[in-house]
Parts: sequence; C-alpha cells; structure tokens
Amino acid sequence: RRRIRVLLVEDEEIHRVVARAVLRAAGVEADEAENGAEAVRRVRERVGGAGAGAYDLILTDKQMPIMDGHEATRQIRAMGVTTTIVAVSSDSLPSDVQAFIAAGADDFTPKVHAGPSNPPDQSCFTPE
Amino acid sequence: MAAAALRAQLNALLANMFTTGMVDEQFQQLQSLQEDGGSASGFVAEVATLFIDDADRIIADIAALLDQPVVDFDKVDAHVHQLKGSSSSVGAQKVKLACMHFRQFYEAKSKEGCLMALALVRSEFCDVRNKFQTMMQLEQ
Repeated sequence: RRRIRVLLVEDEEIHRVVARAVLRAAGVEADEAENGAEAVRRVRERVGGAGAGAYDLILTDKQMPIMDGHEATRQIRAMGVTTTIVAVSSDSLPSDVQAFIAAGADDFTPKVHAGPSNPPDQSCFTPE
Repeated sequence: MAAAALRAQLNALLANMFTTGMVDEQFQQLQSLQEDGGSASGFVAEVATLFIDDADRIIADIAALLDQPVVDFDKVDAHVHQLKGSSSSVGAQKVKLACMHFRQFYEAKSKEGCLMALALVRSEFCDVRNKFQTMMQLEQ
C-alpha cells in the first residue's frame, strides 16, 4: 500500500508542529514548506524529470510571507498540477473561501484543530 | 512515592486549568496526541513553549504599535490574529477569547479600547503562562 504524499504549507512553527503531530497520528509523514514560494518550488521539483511524482495532497495556509496561499495555489495550477489542494485558514469568511477556490483550491477548511478523535478528512483525495 | 505525589499535583493542576476554562478541548487533544498518537513525550511542552515565546513577542509588538503617535491598526489586527491562532493551537481558551474581544477596538480604531483589550490579553496570558511553566516543571 503506497504511502500518501502530503505537503504542508504553513509559516507559523506552532501550527506546523501541531499539524505534523496530527498527520503523524493519521499515519502520514508530510513534507513542509514555510511559505508559498517554497511550496511552489517543492511541487515543481517533484513533478520535474527526476522528481518523485506529484503530491497526493497539499494543505496550505493563507497568510504567509514571500508568497501567500492564494498565489501559491495559482502558480501550482498554472504548472498543470492537479493535486488536491485544501486551504486551511483561520480566515473563514465566505470571501476568503471564494478567493481560494477561484485560485484553484479544491476545498477549504477552517483551522479547526483536529485530534485523534477527529482526524483530517481524507476523502477529498484519492492516491494513485 | 515522590513521583506519585508529583503526578497527583500535575493532575490537579491540569484539572484546574480545564475547570476554570483556562484551556479547552484543543489542549486535551494535544495531550491525547502525546499519549496515544505517537508524538514524542515532550510534545505538549514543545507546543506550550512555542506559544509562550510567540505570545511574549506579539504582546510586546502590539504594545509598541499602540505606543506610536499614529497607531497602525492594520498591524495591530495582524498581530492579534496571529496571537489568536497560536492560542487556539495550544488550547489557551481565555487568551483566545481575549483576542476575539480585542477585535471590536481595532476595527473601531480606538486606541484607548485597544489598550484596555491588550491589558486583558496580557493578564490572561500571564495566568496561563504561569500554569504552563508549572506544568512543565512538574513533568520533568
């Protein structure tokens, strides 16, 4: 059974530490990027000639330095990458959700902090 | 025997933090991740330490912004938003609620209101910081 390949895009260390633990509890070891530009670079590397194949899932925050989640999503989609992208943000106004979907995200979830009793919803992506 | 006494003290401290609303279910879930989810034994302490360091810095930054002759309320907003996120991640409920209370004052661009709200945030943070530090000492 192939392991799920996840990229976590989050600038705040505390959120990365918690998300890492939640994903690990669900059996997932994720790559991490601290901003949108780093995320785009990692995606580009994976889909390149010598890359390890596209991610199955990208979880991205909105507000980040250098490049935010909206722009990163746009650039990843512009590469032709169809990986499921889920925006994870405390800003959950309808306009925030709509902006992410317009940028190419597949789904949006508020920063509800899952625990083992409430694992991340994995139904939004299908690994190969 | 000493270990049992320390464990009892720790349990009493944690119970108090929950019953007074200082921490919420998120903190409980962090504990579950440590105990059942395969995270390292110092995971809760790591998250608490990150929160304390973040909050110390953010509160100082907000105070500096409010000390300016012309307050940049957009920056105050950004800092309070970040603190709300950190407090949510660790389950520091009273700090989170104080941040939510803060919003009305920077939206109204009220320096006086922001100063009062910051005082509340600082007070709630000091309380939970002391409890977290005691917790980490008891766990060592």
